[in-house]
Amino acid sequence: MLVARGLRKRFRKTQAVDGVDITVEVGERVALLGANGAGKTTTLLMLLGAITPDEGTIDLLGYRLPHGRSKAMRSVGFSAGYLPLPDRLRVIEVLRVFADFYGVADAERTARAGLERFGISHLANDMASELSSGQRTLVALVKGTMHSPQFLVLDEPTASLDPDVAARARRGLEDLMSADNTSLLVTSHNMTEVERICERVIFISRGTVVADGRPADVATQFGRDSLEAVFLQLASEEDR
Amino acid sequence: MRLLDAGINKQHIRAVIRRHYYVQKRGWHRWFDVLVWPTVDTVIWGSIGQFVTQQGGPVRSGLPYMLTGILMMHVLYQANISVSTGFMEETWSRNLLNVMVSPVTELDYMIGIVIFGLGKLALGLSTVAIAAAALYSFNILSVGWAIVPIIGILMLVGWCIALFVMGFVLRFGNGAEILAWGVLFVVVALSGVFYPVTALPAAMQPVSQLLPSTHALIAARTVLDGDPLPWSELAKAGVALAALIPLSLAYLNRTLRTFRHRGYVTRYS
Repeated sequence: MLVARGLRKRFRKTQAVDGVDITVEVGERVALLGANGAGKTTTLLMLLGAITPDEGTIDLLGYRLPHGRSKAMRSVGFSAGYLPLPDRLRVIEVLRVFADFYGVADAERTARAGLERFGISHLANDMASELSSGQRTLVALVKGTMHSPQFLVLDEPTASLDPDVAARARRGLEDLMSADNTSLLVTSHNMTEVERICERVIFISRGTVVADGRPADVATQFGRDSLEAVFLQLASEEDR
Repeated sequence: MRLLDAGINKQHIRAVIRRHYYVQKRGWHRWFDVLVWPTVDTVIWGSIGQFVTQQGGPVRSGLPYMLTGILMMHVLYQANISVSTGFMEETWSRNLLNVMVSPVTELDYMIGIVIFGLGKLALGLSTVAIAAAALYSFNILSVGWAIVPIIGILMLVGWCIALFVMGFVLRFGNGAEILAWGVLFVVVALSGVFYPVTALPAAMQPVSQLLPSTHALIAARTVLDGDPLPWSELAKAGVALAALIPLSLAYLNRTLRTFRHRGYVTRYS
């Protein structure tokens, strides 16, 4: 599904990513974790072809980036909790545009089914720019998943959601991933959510992978009883 | 990723057109470009031309020259603004990352905004033509079909300016969007939309000769004088375009590479 080897990226004097290897198998759910500034987002954007690595190779769904980017992206879904939706478009219009971007045959029907999956059909005719941050995040999840991607990349997907809405988002995602055997790569600061959804976690610190394994094994590796404790330890080390 | 390394996908292009149609439909400020400014420009330059005619001034400063000039200027303006603001809509609404990680290629996107821009160009030119006819009884169609290749050249120049502007925005961020208008007015001034380039300061005249728009506008004035279309001027414009088009594409391609290499997409996320 995804094989990235030896990724490096430097921005001026900062080595943002320093030799990261990431693999995600078919149907596997993996979390990419780390404190702010650890290199998660840069890694994610390299994996999606939005940033060119200085070194390293990325093979996504059998296509080598950057040249196979467009073909690979047909089967990749992306959603980020922090990204707004386009101005002056209704929710259903945003989704129809993106359904066409992803080559969906019946854009209108697919978009409405996506809204239904996440329980937000009532938002279809609302202006996208007037949604609350939680509603916007759910619509972004519909946008990222309605074409039934083989590989789903989520950056902070539930960061702005109330617990009940976050639970609805998780259910929608889990239904989709179970039905389609979708692979997942997710970043999140919610360790409980990560432990619930993901079977493998990758911790990044100062641009390098410092742990890669099952959540319980990673916690044991650091002598901690939870991912939360591992996260806090790595974050404090990064601050020093 | 190179700009021209992928095939064309009609579904992507239709989606880009639809996306910008929605913005146009609901963005009242967007109608200023195609309805208000063309009318205001026609009134300003039409009235100047009328005044010069009333004073018995030189024929080439008269009404037909001014109105044809404003039509030509709006070909450059609309071609440039519709494409460059089409792209900038993604940066203004911080939608660039969503587009960049979708299967839409740069080429699909460009074709989509160019096709949508053609619609806006037709609207803007129609506004000038209708305002000229209604307010000054001047029928722009009386210039004849010779104006078609001239408009074609100016349209290509406008698109080339838009490619440079997009490159500037990718490289330097949204602050560079002022160049969408700035570069255009420099080109308009140097090309002699309302005057022959011999009226420019001597130091600027060699520069103006390098612009395809200069030769297209010389051709337009020649046709207005009742002379046949000067193909030699169109040929000079063609040669200049043959250099300008690959140059603007190469610049955009280079800035796209820089944009991805330096991770500038995070400016819009």
